[in-house]
Amino acid sequence: MDYRKKLFQWKDPFDTEGSKDAFCKAMKENCAFQYKNCPEYRTILDEKGFSPEDIKDYDDLARLPFLPTVFLKHHRIFSMPEHKRLIRATSSGTSGKYSEIGMEFGSLTNGLRMLLKVTRPRKLISPVPCHYIIFGYRPHKSNKTAIAKTALGYTFFTPALSRTFALKYKDGKYEPDLEGVIKAIVKHSKSKFPMRFIGFPAYTYFTLKMMDERGIHVKLPKNSVIMLGGGWKQFYKEQVDKQAMYDLVKRVLDVEEENVVESFGAAEHPILYCDCKKHHFHVPVYSRVMIRDVNTLEVLPHGNVGLVNLMTPMIKATPVLSIMTDDLGILHDAEECGCGVKSPYLEIIGRVGLKDVKTCAAGASEILEKAGLKG
Amino acid sequence: MILFQGQVYPPERQDEILEKLEECINATRETKTLDREQVIAAADRLRSRILAGEFDALIKTFSDSITTEYLREAADIMKRENIEFRLRTELAGVVQENEIAPPYGISKAKICYRPLGTLFHIAAGNVDGLPAFSVLEGLLTGNVNILKLPEADNGISIEIFLRMMEEEPLLKEYVYIFDTPSSDVQGMRKMADMSDGIVVWGGEAAVAAVRTLASPGAKIIEWGHKLGFAYMSGYEEKERDLRGLAKHIIDTRQLFCSSCQTIYIDTEDAEDLHAFCKEFLPYLDEAAEQNPVLEVGAVAEMTLRKYHASLEAALCGEGEQEECYQGKKTSLTVCDDQELELSYMYGNCLVKALPRKDLLRTLRRAKGCLQTAGLVCAPEKRRQLTDLLVRAGINRVMSAGHMSATFCGEAHDGEYPLRRYLRVVNIECD
Repeated sequence: MDYRKKLFQWKDPFDTEGSKDAFCKAMKENCAFQYKNCPEYRTILDEKGFSPEDIKDYDDLARLPFLPTVFLKHHRIFSMPEHKRLIRATSSGTSGKYSEIGMEFGSLTNGLRMLLKVTRPRKLISPVPCHYIIFGYRPHKSNKTAIAKTALGYTFFTPALSRTFALKYKDGKYEPDLEGVIKAIVKHSKSKFPMRFIGFPAYTYFTLKMMDERGIHVKLPKNSVIMLGGGWKQFYKEQVDKQAMYDLVKRVLDVEEENVVESFGAAEHPILYCDCKKHHFHVPVYSRVMIRDVNTLEVLPHGNVGLVNLMTPMIKATPVLSIMTDDLGILHDAEECGCGVKSPYLEIIGRVGLKDVKTCAAGASEILEKAGLKG
Repeated sequence: MILFQGQVYPPERQDEILEKLEECINATRETKTLDREQVIAAADRLRSRILAGEFDALIKTFSDSITTEYLREAADIMKRENIEFRLRTELAGVVQENEIAPPYGISKAKICYRPLGTLFHIAAGNVDGLPAFSVLEGLLTGNVNILKLPEADNGISIEIFLRMMEEEPLLKEYVYIFDTPSSDVQGMRKMADMSDGIVVWGGEAAVAAVRTLASPGAKIIEWGHKLGFAYMSGYEEKERDLRGLAKHIIDTRQLFCSSCQTIYIDTEDAEDLHAFCKEFLPYLDEAAEQNPVLEVGAVAEMTLRKYHASLEAALCGEGEQEECYQGKKTSLTVCDDQELELSYMYGNCLVKALPRKDLLRTLRRAKGCLQTAGLVCAPEKRRQLTDLLVRAGINRVMSAGHMSATFCGEAHDGEYPLRRYLRVVNIECD
């Protein structure tokens, strides 16, 4: 039986409790597929003493060996041949190395199902045409990052009347064109059709700040939406910064806070997390989050800070059914939010790293390595 | 921020200040001499003000890690009697001027010790205030000092010298501080160009990098990036020894050059390693409970690295060579090799077998990294094992609990810092 399909057809996209068994079965099915078709994954499971057959109920998923995103940056591992990997998405590779995730036809159709359901509460899919402002990359054949694809994908939620990109490919590199964006915003604000803003929060914020400083304040047409997203890293900021963003959106564009929608996903875990009215990221049925102890990697109860382990049976072509991010987060009980969505929500609070640590090794050698003087 | 001639300037003015810095330093060196007594008096007076609590509120704004105990240690370093003790110890036989009659060559010569001139300190940030102590050593030997702050500096170094300058205004011409960003190679090169000695805290990579900065002939004085270990060959008092070692590992977070990274057991039997881990792990967990590690991001990073390494080992077919004993907040990993290695720190230690017959030849392979050994053994073995460790190249042999303890007059990496900041001048006499 195709348990993945069953899960992705689940009626309520936030019924994580009710879908536990379906999720577990889909994970087991996926695990068995990866074990059979990916020799590297099989070796890891064998070495860790785990077999797909060990997944008997939901709690067993805690013992399923996970792959850290850093591991995926060092190894290109797949469970399907290249011709079946229809989409190739890469992480943004801020450290110079990136992971490559291949997605087969089945994951794309299930992904589409997910998209339709997750975006429904925020009414993101609509037949009303829109003008799009994309604070991201104009597509180019050299850019295969998941973020560029996701941003472009969002512009198909409604018919697009126009697409204006903030990052343009020119002479072999991307350059920001915020002046062009401001012109487009002013122009389209007079249109009778709504506008949609998509992409990196930092660029959105910076552009709106520029407009504010120059006294350019507009009133966007009714039903305009500001969508913020672009990878996990964008969400470390304190709530107070987010509030400043909402205030700025209201002041410069006259768009209410409830029409500011945040989302995130990662190349290694392409599940769309869309925020609720209270701007919390509730876990959808297609995904599960386990917060693990930073010392022992044991799963922690809700409300504790730990490493963020994400699971999904969505993809078969790449063994990313359980990945460990380098983020630190907390999983909160649904009741703490109070928006009515039944599933727990994830709060990202930081990132692993030695940046603020004072060690001998982080002394002169690190300073000079950063300066490009090593060797 | 920049400290130049006793005034604080914003970093944007770095280029302009660097333009005139060499002229200012040349003018000082041409006509002025910093007397050691002036430095000692200023340090001692500042110490009294610190102990009187004058800066308590200010210190709190800098770092939570500056404890009362830490302040007392800092005050001890600045105390007149202690500085004088240190000078007597480190500079024994180093006199201002001495006349000799050489048996051949010339008939009479004067030997004197003088400052190197200008020191450029590229400091580490692993201990609050360490960059300032590095500069203090430069001052005690009469040098002009340019300090490039570490990224982890929280502003305390500039504050210390502003206060010292209140006590001794001449220091304004002997201390210049820059928080040059790491990427500003050009700025650092300018500072290196006007220096006679570059004091660098870091490993081989750092020293190699500094050589590319330094003008030919500049003296490079390197400190640090060493690996500490404990050597266990029986016990003097088991309970106390294990508790002391555990406390040391947890209290230092294994971040110092002297911190224990690897625990060597004097045995050829792998079973002894496992028995040791089972016995020692509760001590380590207890110490972690008493002094919890709060740097969650760093601990998580190390845990992920450890897990990642286990996956890499699995793929390379080396999965069974290590066995990890996981405690509540700590871990011990039994390895089947003998090499001295950096651990995953924060209470995660490596355990290896090293029978004494293999000790010297094993440690020689790590000769660039040797510094401190924490020796745990029966009293009757202590002298012999200490001698063996010293022959292997170890510079500090301590009890396990005191591996990172400091004391007045101690050498650093086998040398006296103050001597390295001086040069010997020969002058032919009539």
